[in-house]
Amino acid sequence: MGNTATGVASKRAYVLAIVLILFFWQVAAWFLPSFLMPDVPVALMRLWRELGSAEFYHGLGNSMGRLGAGYGAALLAGIVLGLVGGTLNAVRSTLKAAIIILQSIPSIAWVPLFLILMGFGNLPIIVVVAVGAFFPTALSVMNATESVERVHIDAARVMGASRMQMLKRVYFPAVTPELITGAQLAFGNAWRALISAEMIVGFSAGLGKSLAYSGEIADMTGVMTNILVIAVLAAVIDQVILERIKYRLLRYQYL
Amino acid sequence: MQLQFERVTKSFGDLKVIDTFDTTIRDGEIVALVGPSGCGKSTLLHMVAGLQSATGGQVKADGRSVERPAPERTLVFQEHALYPWMTLRQNVALALEFQGRPAGEAHKQAVQWLARVKLDGFEDYYPHQVSGGMRQRCALARAFIARPKVLLLDEPFGALDALTRLTLQSVLKDLIEEERPTVVLVTHDVDEALYLADRVLVFSHRPARVLEEFTLGHIPKTHDLSAFAGIRREVLSLLGIDTQAQETERQTEKGDVQ
Repeated sequence: MGNTATGVASKRAYVLAIVLILFFWQVAAWFLPSFLMPDVPVALMRLWRELGSAEFYHGLGNSMGRLGAGYGAALLAGIVLGLVGGTLNAVRSTLKAAIIILQSIPSIAWVPLFLILMGFGNLPIIVVVAVGAFFPTALSVMNATESVERVHIDAARVMGASRMQMLKRVYFPAVTPELITGAQLAFGNAWRALISAEMIVGFSAGLGKSLAYSGEIADMTGVMTNILVIAVLAAVIDQVILERIKYRLLRYQYL
Repeated sequence: MQLQFERVTKSFGDLKVIDTFDTTIRDGEIVALVGPSGCGKSTLLHMVAGLQSATGGQVKADGRSVERPAPERTLVFQEHALYPWMTLRQNVALALEFQGRPAGEAHKQAVQWLARVKLDGFEDYYPHQVSGGMRQRCALARAFIARPKVLLLDEPFGALDALTRLTLQSVLKDLIEEERPTVVLVTHDVDEALYLADRVLVFSHRPARVLEEFTLGHIPKTHDLSAFAGIRREVLSLLGIDTQAQETERQTEKGDVQ
């Protein structure tokens, strides 16, 4: 971002990659019958029609609400646990080991448990999203907290910082670069968890449910349209929104 | 504030770093600790700051045993102690904000202190945007803004080039004269010690003990230290540097002493 030349180059790379993906899709469509793989223009036309329907926005809104609630809660909890865990030498290694073990469980594996525990509804989906996003956030914050420079901590101590001031003014800004990387990783997890949970749970409208439904009625144009939406949204959130937040929070590094 | 070291010893495991250090530093006195690298001078400083504790004996400030850091005993580090995510003004103001002073007042005073170290116009720069000398000016402002009774300096200008170092020594000297804290300075630079200090303690290799003490008194000084040539020669010779002959040869051997 600090360098316009690389910015332009990376934009060009993105455009090229999108063209390439669409090209391979179209090649597949030429070789397969249209009820198995729709042409790109057909899917784009369907998407255009979808964008005009209230139903689409209802599902989109539901999905975004679940994502926001789950991802938001996970970021908050991950930051707090990461900071506190990272500063407590006694529990740090145990906590980290526990996170690494739990992290290896695909978040979608929790669905049956949460469904029975919390009942059919929004909550199990939100919790699955949160579980997926929590671990990478907590781990990145904890690792970063551990490696905050000694002199930065000592300087705050001689200036008379309280424990709370230390966390807010020293540890938190010091771990922000790693936190953002962790949050971007966490977003990928959250997004995967959201779509798969919606596909499985199938509670009220949503991107995942819409995709699963298209599959059930063998509407391949619908399937590809939904995949397109899921891909574009993820790229926009990650590359535009999260990158912009990163740039704002780490502005001092780019000056 | 008076500082007392009472039979202070320090070991890290089996490694004995400080071998019985005993001295009293009077209120307002400026004392320099000079010695080879890794001899434990910085450890002594950290003990006064309350960042480390003594293995044996104790460090007292105005008769009370030092147990934890307090803003009245502040420490200036060698480098990289400014927060890179804060502007110079925010860095300096933080020292007051940590003491519970309102942000507005802290920032106003920070601007004044930055002007006192001739950094006016650079308030909103980030540390990586200014030179090493300017960063240490800012570090001095951050230390002095809290009006410490004890100022501890841990090789504050060690990372600077020779010319910048001389300028900063003058800036520091002026601030000390105006604010009159008790000062303990750890340095490798004998000339810096002679220029700033009223008393110079020369330490041995690990485990550190005081080899010799030189009292210069609190007298006006300039960077022309020819009046102290005798003391300078003695200090250097204690540090193992022969000032008479084959100087370069010996110096490369004991390269850790300047």
